[in-house]
Amino acid sequence: MIDSPIAREFLETGRCQSCPIIDMHAHYGPFSGIYMPNHTPEQMLATLDRCGVELIVSSGHTALEDVVRGNAEMLSITERYPGRWYAYLVYNPHYPAEGQAQLEEYDRHPTLVGLKFHPSMHAYPLTGEAYRPALEFAAARRLIVLTHTWGDSPYNGPEHLAQVAERYPEVTFLAGHSCHGEFQKCMEVARKYPNVYLELTAAYAVRGLIEQMVETVGAHKIVFGCDLPWFDPHYAIGCVVMAHISDGARRAILRENALRILEGRRRV
Amino acid sequence: MAGISYFDCNVSIGRPKSGVYRPCPTAGELLAEMDWVGVDQALVHHALMRGQSPVVGNQVLVEEIAGEERLVGSWAILPPQTRELPQGEDFFTAMAQAGVRALWAFPMEHRYLLNRLTFGPFLDQVAERRIPLFIPRNAGGTDPVATWQLVSQLLAEYPKLTLVLAAHGPWGEDRYFRPLLERYPRFYLDISRYELDGGLGELVSLYGAERLLYGSNFPANAMGGPRMMLARAEISEEARRAIAGDNLRRLLQEVQL
Ligand SMILES: [Zn+2]
Repeated sequence: MIDSPIAREFLETGRCQSCPIIDMHAHYGPFSGIYMPNHTPEQMLATLDRCGVELIVSSGHTALEDVVRGNAEMLSITERYPGRWYAYLVYNPHYPAEGQAQLEEYDRHPTLVGLKFHPSMHAYPLTGEAYRPALEFAAARRLIVLTHTWGDSPYNGPEHLAQVAERYPEVTFLAGHSCHGEFQKCMEVARKYPNVYLELTAAYAVRGLIEQMVETVGAHKIVFGCDLPWFDPHYAIGCVVMAHISDGARRAILRENALRILEGRRRV
Repeated sequence: MAGISYFDCNVSIGRPKSGVYRPCPTAGELLAEMDWVGVDQALVHHALMRGQSPVVGNQVLVEEIAGEERLVGSWAILPPQTRELPQGEDFFTAMAQAGVRALWAFPMEHRYLLNRLTFGPFLDQVAERRIPLFIPRNAGGTDPVATWQLVSQLLAEYPKLTLVLAAHGPWGEDRYFRPLLERYPRFYLDISRYELDGGLGELVSLYGAERLLYGSNFPANAMGGPRMMLARAEISEEARRAIAGDNLRRLLQEVQL
């Protein structure tokens, strides 16, 4: 059986003392198309404890629908868990005035580390003019932008990602789901641009992909996420720790890369 | 987790023409991956059963897993009207001779309606003989609604059928399938993509562990995810043992050929 001490420890205890996880792609709250048993803050915290997750960064489900109500809600929740729970501010290009006001209002918010874009859900291209104010804001502050990406998408495919990465080198882009379905092109983008990272939510389930990412892009360009409260982190962890990669690569993906990305961006 | 023996209900081998990121062509490669993640047995189908024809694929599957004691074979069905596979009693005799103890239906790929009009007494026989029938998530089309409607209709027509919905997708589809679990005691779920946080624990407490089968949907999906998820799920050891393999072992033992 698998010879990795990290994998063994997760299998036997559910956690890994030497490799607490940093989850860069989480959400919060109930959501339209899915029943989620564990979506309250207390339930999510219990899941983090159970799975050895040290820290998560979330965008609220309410914020994906209603930025005004939802961003305020998400930030107020993260404030209750300093050092454990951080937030992305959702920017919806259809609400530029509200977005601008929120960027200004929450500019120095202690738990805010970046912005979340969901071009598919908002049916607006990542490269569109309406994202410009948010991207300029992120560039000026060297923020993280977690953007949803998906293959063969008119809104957020690998070409869109490459364009914004080129235009905003100061922004660290996390490619949520690694352009699921157009993995090869996404890997090329991540290899070409130092400011683009592959994020694993949903992509981790594709057999052989993590190995391919490590081989062609490098373990240093991959970060962990699992859309909590959607997916059981243990499923995602299993995919990473039982992939045919080194323990060094496992540590980089589960923890070290995210810590490096967050360095200097955390106020609490 | 000593004493828990994992039996994967949903793996395939072969060289599918597209759609699988890294296929698993041979039984040898499958067994190596099972060893890597700690899985003892698997119920196997072949890519040719789905992508080509059961006429070809059923036979190839038997050849490819011959002599591998950890692998149990399954076959795909076709409508009796076109008489492509052995008919009636002969079909079940052939299954017995080949050591095959479960069936798959791929109505999308093979272009038929999976219902009583098409399968009539054949599926009554499958139900009576307690042969598990597996159907994939795309059985009714790419839209999940269509597949759940198909399942709902099929179970209404064959309420005693042992039906397993395989790899139903990472979005929790509880709002679709919980009514079916409530109504039909022979309806089962392969948990391979049931990634919902807290989902397994809730299903076990509501419906018992008997209705869930451990699976991976390998090689489309990695084996490590469901293996770790079930190993660490917040359920009793008894429930874990049942889901990991004992439920499937029981189902296969019940089969009368
Ligand atoms: Zn997400």
